[in-house]
Amino acid sequence: MTSTDSASTSYGFVIDNRRCIGCHACTVACKSEHEDPIQVNKTWVSYIEKGVYPDTTRQFHVMRCNHCADAPCVEICPTACLTTRDDGIVDFDPGRCIGCKACMQACPYDAITINPDSGTATKCNYCAHRVEESREPACVVVCPAEAIVPGDLNDPGSKIAKIVASQDVSVRKPEKGTLPKLYYVDGDAAALQPAASIRTRETLWGEKAPDIVDDTPVAEGQIRSAAAGAPRRAYDIAQRHAGSWGWKVSAYLFTKSIAAGAFLVPALATLAGLHLAGTHLVGIVVALLALAATGVLLVSDLKRPERFLWVLLRPQWKSWLVRGAYIIAGYSAILLIMLALFLRGDGLGATSATVLAIIGCVLAAGTASYSGWLFGQAKGRDLWQSPLVPLHLLVQAMVVGMALFLPMVDATWYPQVFAVLLAVDLVFVVQDVWGRHQTADASRAAKLMRSGNWGVLLIAGSLLAGHVVPMFLCFSQGTAPQVLAAILAGAGVAIYEHLWVAAPQRVALA
Amino acid sequence: MARELSWIERIAAGAGLVPKQQPENDRRADGTLAAYPPFEEWGDYVEQDVTRRKRRYSLIPTTCFNCEAGCGLLAFVDQETGEISKLEGNPLHPGSRGRNCAKGPATVNQLTDPERIMEPLKRVGPRGSGEFEPVSWDEALEDIAGRIRKAFDEGRGKEVMYHVGRPGHEAFMERLLAAWGIDGHNSHTNICSSSARLGYQMTFGFDRPSPDYEHAQLILLVSAHLESGHYFNPHAQRIIEAKNRGARVVVIDPRLSNTAASADVWIPARPGTEAALLLAAVRIVLERGEIDREFVERWVDWRGYLQALHPEDTVEFDQFVQRLTESFASYTVEWAAEEAGIEPQLIEALAVEIARAGSRVATHVWRAAATGNEWGWQCARVLGLITTLTGSVGAPGGTSPHGWNKYKPSFWSTPDGPKEWNELQWPREYPLSFYELSILLPHFVREGRGKLDVYFTRVYNPVWTNPDGFQWIEMLQNEEQVGCYVALTPTWNESAYFADYVLPMGHAPERHDIQSQETHAGVWVSYRQPVKRALAQLRGENVSDTRDTNPGEVWEEDEFWIDLTWRIDPDGSRGIRKHYESPYRPGEKVTTEDYYRWVFENAVPGLPEAAAAKGMQPLEYMRRIGAFELKRDIYRLHENEVAGLDANALEDDDRGRVHADGKKVGVRVDGKVCQGFPTPSGRIEIYSETLAEWGFADKALPAYNPSHVGPQAIDPENGIYTLVPTFRLPTMIHTRSANSKWLNEISHNNPVWIHPDDAARHGIEDTTLIRVETAIGWFVNRARVTHSMRPGVIACSHHMGRWRMEKGPGSRWTSPTIKLEQLDGEQRRLRIQAPVEGFDSDDPDSGRTWWKEAGVNQNLAFPVQPDPASGMHCWHQVVKLTKASSDDQYGDVVVDLAKSRQHYETWLAKTQPAPGPGGLRRPRWLPRPVKPHDSTYEI
Repeated sequence: MTSTDSASTSYGFVIDNRRCIGCHACTVACKSEHEDPIQVNKTWVSYIEKGVYPDTTRQFHVMRCNHCADAPCVEICPTACLTTRDDGIVDFDPGRCIGCKACMQACPYDAITINPDSGTATKCNYCAHRVEESREPACVVVCPAEAIVPGDLNDPGSKIAKIVASQDVSVRKPEKGTLPKLYYVDGDAAALQPAASIRTRETLWGEKAPDIVDDTPVAEGQIRSAAAGAPRRAYDIAQRHAGSWGWKVSAYLFTKSIAAGAFLVPALATLAGLHLAGTHLVGIVVALLALAATGVLLVSDLKRPERFLWVLLRPQWKSWLVRGAYIIAGYSAILLIMLALFLRGDGLGATSATVLAIIGCVLAAGTASYSGWLFGQAKGRDLWQSPLVPLHLLVQAMVVGMALFLPMVDATWYPQVFAVLLAVDLVFVVQDVWGRHQTADASRAAKLMRSGNWGVLLIAGSLLAGHVVPMFLCFSQGTAPQVLAAILAGAGVAIYEHLWVAAPQRVALA
Repeated sequence: MARELSWIERIAAGAGLVPKQQPENDRRADGTLAAYPPFEEWGDYVEQDVTRRKRRYSLIPTTCFNCEAGCGLLAFVDQETGEISKLEGNPLHPGSRGRNCAKGPATVNQLTDPERIMEPLKRVGPRGSGEFEPVSWDEALEDIAGRIRKAFDEGRGKEVMYHVGRPGHEAFMERLLAAWGIDGHNSHTNICSSSARLGYQMTFGFDRPSPDYEHAQLILLVSAHLESGHYFNPHAQRIIEAKNRGARVVVIDPRLSNTAASADVWIPARPGTEAALLLAAVRIVLERGEIDREFVERWVDWRGYLQALHPEDTVEFDQFVQRLTESFASYTVEWAAEEAGIEPQLIEALAVEIARAGSRVATHVWRAAATGNEWGWQCARVLGLITTLTGSVGAPGGTSPHGWNKYKPSFWSTPDGPKEWNELQWPREYPLSFYELSILLPHFVREGRGKLDVYFTRVYNPVWTNPDGFQWIEMLQNEEQVGCYVALTPTWNESAYFADYVLPMGHAPERHDIQSQETHAGVWVSYRQPVKRALAQLRGENVSDTRDTNPGEVWEEDEFWIDLTWRIDPDGSRGIRKHYESPYRPGEKVTTEDYYRWVFENAVPGLPEAAAAKGMQPLEYMRRIGAFELKRDIYRLHENEVAGLDANALEDDDRGRVHADGKKVGVRVDGKVCQGFPTPSGRIEIYSETLAEWGFADKALPAYNPSHVGPQAIDPENGIYTLVPTFRLPTMIHTRSANSKWLNEISHNNPVWIHPDDAARHGIEDTTLIRVETAIGWFVNRARVTHSMRPGVIACSHHMGRWRMEKGPGSRWTSPTIKLEQLDGEQRRLRIQAPVEGFDSDDPDSGRTWWKEAGVNQNLAFPVQPDPASGMHCWHQVVKLTKASSDDQYGDVVVDLAKSRQHYETWLAKTQPAPGPGGLRRPRWLPRPVKPHDSTYEI
């Protein structure tokens, strides 16, 4: 290895499964080097048993961050805590992390954990602090079998480059396009593809740390239908990513829908010349309250809430978390200006009001839909990858916004448009859940949404009670049925959003 | 640098709204990464930690104290705090070469365990009540020394016993006990390796093998050396290197161990039938004539074989080969495959591999067939036969006697040793035992064969680890039988509950000793040292007591024993003290510095010269480098010509032995007098005259002798199985490692492995609670249904199942709270009262444990089953398997003490007691620790 130009360096790992003996020394050396607590396993050894006696095998695969050449965790990170260094190491700086857990959604390999001591994201960083001192990573040094080969992939003379060039190597999930730089010699699909093995709660010699993927109907079904000798995990760790975005994130989607819809509906009506009396002020006030709730939810979901302003002040512009934060901030500003004008009662000139309303509409629409691109940056969640998500979020915002004013408005076109919007949303939902999916993991997530209790909630709660019933109920006269229709429609959207956020997080990534 | 800061951040940072980004470290590697800093920098090494803070370290070597391999460690001692930040490997250690298993770096957990014992403790309540109070070292030492002095003065030296769990303290204790003049050494050997030792000893005159895996072509393992045992990390390195070079690995094990999983051929033979299938392969090799005739003719005692078994035959080598071939004629492939329950092709394949490997056959049988089975030593004998017939003994890539690759120190004075034979450890029933009959101690004491006035355990946990633990509890609780029990241990264990004194001893970087193991075809010695004390001494500070640098009041054995010895013989009148006076300052107490300085200056050939070359004294060399390789590429020492003989005074006998002054000095080969092997014949003994003379004439040849758990004993249809309870995990080492949180996180229970067909027969599924009934009771555990287990056999790791009592201390990382109960009659029960629970401590991790079930202490439910010859506790059990009853709880262990006594008597009756030829207790040529005076051998 003679490369001296760090710009041309590209560190990677080869895991040579012809050598690995599954001893877990790498895991412990890593924990010692980084002084990591229990449940932080930056590197761990997957055991897969398969085959029928006596043709049984047990395979070991060292799992960790792949130091992807195109790392989705880096792209989604709002504060540039995660970065790709010039030497190809994907590193992190706990001093910049706000604990938003977006990286845990973005990583398709479940390589990132929140360190419970610091509340910040952590993962294998190739022992960058040692590499800077010309020392091999701790796992490499300890390995009794020299199964972990580090080095510069760009140096054709390096041991690692020679192995990659001359051996049949494989990577995890190449279809993700992340360009992993961790190569397995003798890698087995049963270990590299998470769905190819049965997950169990017991290992050869312990209880796997519990995670919420354990309870999914998919996992149970897998066990019941497993053929004798089907690949089964014999040592496994928790799915750290699973459920890392909880109810606060689903609730934030919903409050954001309210915030956008509450302004959009009256404003669009006015721009279209269909003035809805008395809705504007209510809309602005509701939108501001909903934005406040959104903010509270977002900040409280951070593991380091005191750092929430860093999204704005230490921005990493490629992250839709940052872009969204600025959109929300801009939208809030417009709403506050309009509220102030309303309260002063002197209004604006028609042109200025229209310009302001148009800007408000654009920002409201952005507020509703930007999450679509944010969720799209979450490369670990296949179900969220649909390009229609931003549009769907906008439709949901409109449904919620129209529901909000349903009891207040008596225009005859209003329930008609509302019903049409509900129908459009229904089409989106049905397409999302029952439509064809690009990947098996997306199908798995969709299947989770329509199975078990979630299926009941989705079909009876969201589809029937939340869409079909209000579609008819909204035409009835009287406040009570109108209020009921509004509540049902809002609940229908909320339920769907929650399931849509939760389900993909129950698909195993490793 | 890749992280580009936005203009907003620059403004915000300027305004003090957000922290300024720390400047990135611009020191970058040039692409070349090294495993370790160069030795020249060890004394003062600056390295940034994960937070990119520069830390100034001193790198001080020591030796790992977890398993027996003695791997090198390098302690990173922070010069600012004086604390050990981490332990990496020692790249200058010839055995481990800078690499370690998980247990090496995990040592740092053991140092900072919030529950470690920090001060000497004395019992205050009744034995086993768990009530202790702190006591000063001085008070403890005075009390213990007083008892011992009194015992010695009253001629009750036999009542003082030292029982070692983790050895690796080369020769220190043997010399100490010899100085005390007592035959008081007891060890863990007969729960570990007795049978393997007997088998090797009877074949080669050495009791252990030293496979040269690195250069082997066939690595034949009746063991699991890629995950455990003598010597995991050093051996695994070399096995994997050989395998990747093209060597073939064949593993015989009823369980798919990690080692079997990495093998080219896995032979899942029925437990106890290993010798049968190996002999079938030998038969093929012999019949095909694929043996190293030249080696066998020169180095096997075939003359003795013919004289003993075929006295009418002409004494010719061809005749021997023919007779040997005939003797194995009954080991047909078909028969052996049937007996072992395997495909015949596997035996054919093994025979092909043996023949193809030539003299490069490396084999081992540690902690497996030899450990589990009655007559398990025959498996070692058969492996010895294979390495012999292929000419692999002592050859590159073959298997050498361990003694060629292990260093033994000597000292400035040699005590005379005991004048009395202690039958508590060396009973007449077991004249060939390797070594002490330690598992039978409670039964012997109960029978009144003797009692203990002072009983020391060092890093040993017989209540938990030995079979029949309830008998140990009975004995330890009885103050008539055990006057004073002193537990020397770095960490809490189940036996220490019953101690009168619990004396905390240091972990790997907190103690002195030296260790040497036969890891490869070389000889090395490694220095274990209290690294903080070593650092102070390297800086020229005078630290004369390891307690000064250890945490709390934690001490080390060396200084403890020296101090105790001086108190036992304060004025030197008993002739003990003189051996613990400084070789440099006559009349003064020897220090650890004196002790190791003397050894390194005088008893490690080549070390003074190597040290001088580096401008160091030998002690400084070992302090700074930690290990020394005395020799490398040690092969075929048996061919060495014996030097200094007077050719005229030599006498040859009819078996090729050469004698001088009536003493055997070597063997005649090609006219030269060669070193040969330290057996009675001077050569490799396929036929063992000793076995024949001492009651085992029917087993004097390598043979398949059905085990107590052999095919005839099991009946799966009726729920009768063989239980293999011996397997180790790569992450744990007996009860020593349970105070490492990182190891516990990976492994914390021991479900019973069972084949799916067997499970289905009993309606058992994964995690079903099952009852495993032994001859004396039962235990309740969960099932793991897996194709990694051969049908008809179940297996349970011996590494888990720790417990702590309701009252008193203990290690809570993996211990549920239990209650010991007396049921009807003589039934005893261990029952879990509360599962493993997180606890509050300075370490937040102690509240983060998620595991509730920490395994089952299966050993408690095992009766003692000492092999009639070797004394090995035959671990495998014939068990009845059922689903647990509604009264059973996870973790239950129930034992009937009356049945335990009966079982003991049944096995005792199988023995061939001394006296043997010459009225001896034991053949004089067999090794034993603290060998007593020659006269004591005569009954």
